[in-house]
Amino acid sequence: MSLVTILWSMSAAAALTLAVLYGIVWTVDRRNLANLTLCVVALAMAAVARAEVGMMHAATVAEYAAWARLVYLPVFFALIGLVLFVDLFLGTGRRWLLASIVVLRVVILMGNFLTHPTFAWREIVGLRHMPFLGESVSVAAPVLLRPWHWLSAASCVLILVFIADAALRLWRRGGTEERRKALVAAGGVGLPLAATIVYAESVLIGALPLPLLLTPAFLITIMVMAVELSRGFLLYRQTRQELEELRSEVARAGRVTALGQLASALAHELSQPLGAILRNAEAAELHLNNPSPDLEELRAIVADIRKDDRRAGDVIEQMRALIKRRTLQMSPLPLNELVEDVISLVHSDALAKHVALDYVVAPGLPLVSGDRVHLSQVLLNLIINGMDALQAAPVSNKRVMIEARPREEGRVEVAVTDSGPGVPPEVIDKVFDPFFTTKSSGLGMGLPISRTIIEAHGGRLWAEHAPDGHGLTFRFTLCQAQGAVS
Amino acid sequence: MRAAGVVYVVDDDHSFRTAVTRMLTAAGLAVQSYASGTEFLSQLSRSAPMDGSGCVLADLCMPELDGLQLQEACAAAGVSLPFVFLTGHGDVPSAVSAMRHGAVDFLEKCAPQQALLASLERALERDAEARAARVRREQLENRFAALTEREREVLGYVVSGRMNKQIAAALGIHERTVKLHRNAITTKLGVRSVAELTTLARQTGLFEAPRQACP
Repeated sequence: MSLVTILWSMSAAAALTLAVLYGIVWTVDRRNLANLTLCVVALAMAAVARAEVGMMHAATVAEYAAWARLVYLPVFFALIGLVLFVDLFLGTGRRWLLASIVVLRVVILMGNFLTHPTFAWREIVGLRHMPFLGESVSVAAPVLLRPWHWLSAASCVLILVFIADAALRLWRRGGTEERRKALVAAGGVGLPLAATIVYAESVLIGALPLPLLLTPAFLITIMVMAVELSRGFLLYRQTRQELEELRSEVARAGRVTALGQLASALAHELSQPLGAILRNAEAAELHLNNPSPDLEELRAIVADIRKDDRRAGDVIEQMRALIKRRTLQMSPLPLNELVEDVISLVHSDALAKHVALDYVVAPGLPLVSGDRVHLSQVLLNLIINGMDALQAAPVSNKRVMIEARPREEGRVEVAVTDSGPGVPPEVIDKVFDPFFTTKSSGLGMGLPISRTIIEAHGGRLWAEHAPDGHGLTFRFTLCQAQGAVS
Repeated sequence: MRAAGVVYVVDDDHSFRTAVTRMLTAAGLAVQSYASGTEFLSQLSRSAPMDGSGCVLADLCMPELDGLQLQEACAAAGVSLPFVFLTGHGDVPSAVSAMRHGAVDFLEKCAPQQALLASLERALERDAEARAARVRREQLENRFAALTEREREVLGYVVSGRMNKQIAAALGIHERTVKLHRNAITTKLGVRSVAELTTLARQTGLFEAPRQACP
């Protein structure tokens, strides 16, 4: 077997492998068209390699002409694939240049198959045999050129212009990644293509009596493309992981912020039972100093101390659960308890802000399936948002209403309505955008986090204008837990 | 020995209210407790005029009326009970505001027993003093009310340090008559010396103006 056959077969095999690989990758993620372009270019390159071997091993002029004619088809796909790849990769290509290239190459392709023997050659006069890689290969010489033979080279120059222009525009935008991509496109695709154009044009016009060699340049380009795309995969995975981490950090930051706002209220909440315990203990001490202590009173005191201790413990447990970072732990939950827990958390805050907190839970409401801590956080966020919206409202009309009622089968809806001034209609959809906030000290993360949590529960969270035209209502749905009624 | 008077506990938290009432009662204080400022105020208006001496131990953070608002409402209703505030956590602006409005003290709910009792004792003492001063002043005013118009005029000059001769000249009367008026004044007010007379007159605040008018 000749060295040419071995080298070209290996190149074709490598190209085919890549084509299959990226073809499969594209079928998995069809939106990523860059994978498809690589698949097409690689397939075309394998075909070009086969045609080149055919030409080099041609015994007759007719056989050589047949391969030379045929090679235009894979070259068409390879060039169009390259141009599209660069366009997708850089995102800065000029559309009219791209369209001109496609039109020109289609014209060349059609011209090639409507004429004989090829687009550029009017006639192959004879074949010459010359040594190449230690064996004798066929080269068309001499050839007679058509007047429009330069169109083929012109189309390739246009491609170079397209690539150079797109790379330059990306380079000018600045940024390390942008500049790297510009260099890769110019160096990895543009340079091999430029070298090939010069070489192939010299061969076509008969100035260089050598075989037509497109394969090496294409092989380099395909490798560069493959490396870039797999780099994309790696970066994508890394970015995704970073995004996940960031999201969980932000969720935690949101919780910590909510806690910061509530810290004083929680301190108050804790000081009640702790103060009660202390006073009860002091009272007991005073009773015990008495020669005949009132045992009945002492028993009542001890029972109260125990009760207040539990109350303090509950406050701490709620606080701890809020700070902790954790995954969803779904369990059947009675909504009324959940709402009461959260209200007890914001109770002091509401008092300090003179906000009336009301809640209505429809009787016989089914249990919902959810994570107690995360759902508490959503309710907490919505209630605190509602209270914040009331800052400017008159004291007589500071009200946050929480309602829970069953919805269409298997679902429960919770609504948190404030009596504040509401928001303009054009803003109502933006409230869930991260970092959107109307508060001077807000992070703009509460609502996006809440929405993420509700969606993780398989529900929906949205905002609408309150039914009476004042204030804002946030509604979310939850799935009913399998089984009993609360 | 404990100062007399009732400690009015106003706190919306049931268990704390019960506990603090228990402790203060066991410590020998008379305690009445209320679940809200409104309840306390309505009790005040029902037993008006408020004559019971005592002090208020109020939670700063309550629904409807908070501690500071209760203090203002009491002042507006003419009830000058001293206030001791309790708070979940020390918060400087509220403390400043409370002290400016005459609060006796500002304590955390978990403050030591001795600190709480000491504050309450101070508050009760302050109330008792204020009450005693009020009584003294009322009695004094009654005694001054017994003076005639002329005697009052004479007293004004005496307090500002004039001699009998000067007073007689100023009022266009005989010096002997001035002496008679002075005797009547000291008898009615039950004082023995001019110094004592001056002190008493100043306590009532009735004779400030003439004293300033005569340097």
